[in-house]
Amino acid sequence: MTWITFLWPMVTAACLTMGLIHLRIGLRRTPGVAHLWFALTAFVMAAFSSLELAMIQAQNPAQFLALQRWIDFASAAILVSLVVFVWVFFGSGRKWLALLGSGLVLGPMILNLGPEPKLTFLQITGIRTVETFGGASYAVAEGTRNAWLTLFYLGIIVVMAFVVDASVTLWRRGDRRRAVRVGGTITFFLLFAGVSAALVDAGIMPTPYLASLFYLAILVAMGMELSDDVLHAAQLAADLRENEERMSLATQAGGIGLWIWDLATNQVWGSEQLQGLFGFGSPVPVAYARIVDRIHQDDREQVEQEVQRAVVDRTDYAGEFRTIGADGTVRWIGAQARITVDANGKPARMLGAAIDITARKHAAQQVDQQRQELAHLSRITMLSELSGSLAHELNQPLAIILSNAQAAQRLMAQEPPDLAEVRDILADIVSEDERASEVIQRMRAMLKPGETRLQPLLITNVIEEVLQLVNSDLNSRSVIVHCRFPPVGPRVMGDQIQLQQVLLNLILNACDAMDTNPRADRYLTIATEQRNGMVYASVADNGCGLPPEVERVFEPFHTTKKDGLGLGLPICRTIASVHQGRLWAERNEVRGATFYLELPAAKATHS
Amino acid sequence: MNTRGTVYLLDDEPTMVKALTRLLTAEDFTVHGFTSVETFLDAGRTDEPSCLVLDVAMPELSGLDLQQRLAQDGILLPIVFLTGRGDIPMSVKAIKAGAVDFLTKPVQDDDLLRAVNAALERAAEQREAITEMASLRQRLANLTPREREVMEHVVAGRLNKQIAAELGIGEHTIKVHRSRVKKKMAVQSVAELVRAAARLGVGTL
Repeated sequence: MTWITFLWPMVTAACLTMGLIHLRIGLRRTPGVAHLWFALTAFVMAAFSSLELAMIQAQNPAQFLALQRWIDFASAAILVSLVVFVWVFFGSGRKWLALLGSGLVLGPMILNLGPEPKLTFLQITGIRTVETFGGASYAVAEGTRNAWLTLFYLGIIVVMAFVVDASVTLWRRGDRRRAVRVGGTITFFLLFAGVSAALVDAGIMPTPYLASLFYLAILVAMGMELSDDVLHAAQLAADLRENEERMSLATQAGGIGLWIWDLATNQVWGSEQLQGLFGFGSPVPVAYARIVDRIHQDDREQVEQEVQRAVVDRTDYAGEFRTIGADGTVRWIGAQARITVDANGKPARMLGAAIDITARKHAAQQVDQQRQELAHLSRITMLSELSGSLAHELNQPLAIILSNAQAAQRLMAQEPPDLAEVRDILADIVSEDERASEVIQRMRAMLKPGETRLQPLLITNVIEEVLQLVNSDLNSRSVIVHCRFPPVGPRVMGDQIQLQQVLLNLILNACDAMDTNPRADRYLTIATEQRNGMVYASVADNGCGLPPEVERVFEPFHTTKKDGLGLGLPICRTIASVHQGRLWAERNEVRGATFYLELPAAKATHS
Repeated sequence: MNTRGTVYLLDDEPTMVKALTRLLTAEDFTVHGFTSVETFLDAGRTDEPSCLVLDVAMPELSGLDLQQRLAQDGILLPIVFLTGRGDIPMSVKAIKAGAVDFLTKPVQDDDLLRAVNAALERAAEQREAITEMASLRQRLANLTPREREVMEHVVAGRLNKQIAAELGIGEHTIKVHRSRVKKKMAVQSVAELVRAAARLGVGTL
């Protein structure tokens, strides 16, 4: 045992250890290709240093020559794998230098493929044992050298040029530490291992190859890289923990629940807050289906459809829905989510946040309810204004029914009774009765408090219903009505009763405005039209007109009527806005006013 | 057809017209129904005693306006008003303007029939009065100027002597004129002559 037989196996072991570490990293990490290539250089270097040791201990020329063949191959393998490693690890370097260097290094290996390796020695004449310090000794071969080996060394120079160039590029890009540390040690290795090998091969320096010793520098550099990575990772982990802490504080403070839905496994990870919002206490992750189960069944289908659409279209999701907790508590949840895609652009995960909006929803519901109550009150007020006319509207069919019935009694008393006439009378009685009950139903609908229920409506039907309701009022006030409706009535999405309320209000206001006109000069014009996806209904009169600040009529408690509350138009305006529409007024050029109601058109249906 | 009289019906509600037509036809009236003022005015009218059952709230022309217009045109047609709402000032106005009755819908058949009968009676009376007036006028026209002069003095309550002095003719001649006037005017007494003269507007000396 000499220092030689001690040192070389140490180097081999170091190479193997480093190689194994990088092999493991390369296999576990994505992308880990650079590590795999480095592992390859380390493993080949381990083999190389073993070969060096074997050559040192060679006993005869034949043995030496056989080892020479393999060490040549190993050196080529190291160089090529280093080139690839640098290319991948640095992400820089010139391709042509890499290819040229690899070619020059690999090309001469052909000479070693025959039965006798010819690359380094054409012929070995003898083995000489050289004694060195520490009682160690090593074998040196003597023989004729092959001039073609020069090509191989030219290759090393090109490889070195490639590495230096790649390192400079990396330096310029900013990763100076890696450029100096890894690029520098590889260059150092190439330079010293190359020069020393060249001197050995040229017979100038009668020593064994020392490449593996220089390779230690690379091992040290990569070891430092690795330890830096470990330290960096530890720092990141600490930062992450802190970030998580902050995030969790923030989400707790804001009541925000976070979730990550892995589309591949269909599992959902949810933060503690989210578990509270969805009312499940089980450990995460949970199956997506279990989350969906927690959504209120009235909302479930819609949420699933919207989420599915977000996944397919890779768009953001935003929605509001109710969840039911394990104890039956219903919560309103507002949720927003984003789809992330994998390397192939396929949807991979949905990241989302959810908050409890129950209080806001309840407040909104309360406001809505108050608005509805107010609207209801306003309808009652309007109908009480109309009560005289409505009584007349009911009285008329009753009068007709009575006269018909009494006529029938008289006809039945005759001999013979005119049964055909009586039959006609009964038919008329039935139809008048229906007319009366329609009046009552119309009135009852207006008097009923109700939620907003949007449905496709023909705006012209709504107007005609209202005109029926005010018919006798219009007659008694001698108002002449002109309707300008398109042949096909425009359809809107609306609440029948509320839209009737708006139009009734506008029509009654118009009539009031014309009260001071002479009887033959009271014209009410009602028109509808559809333009650019909006439906317009206008009510125009030739009455006393509006104040110069037209908007004042929409202010609450602004009224020109003796016993008016001044709430009719403001309520009508809120009804319009609930319908995503607008209500406004304009002064007519000559006299009177026109009120416009704008509503979104209902989507075309083919019914 | 021999009926109890002709009734014109005017109401903007066709079904109302139909119902009332049935009722009145069942009671042997001849009924002509109209749903607008215009068609009613355009239609011809019978010579027989007739009346009008009229809805107050006609859209073109209110019932009261129509009443006024018929009076202006000299059309004697007793009117029974029908109204949807019991409006006292309006009914007072209508009655003052000569309406027979003012009924509120729904109207009881007996009330309506009573009113229609009353209206037809009034129509008959008016007719009689008109005929009488026409014959009185005819008789007056048959008097000679001198006879008319004498008649004016007689109904003014003058004695024969006074008239003779006034006209500058003999008292006997006055007596002859006087008896001729009575004969021509078909009256038995001076009192009757005075009444006839009042109706004709004669004797405002």
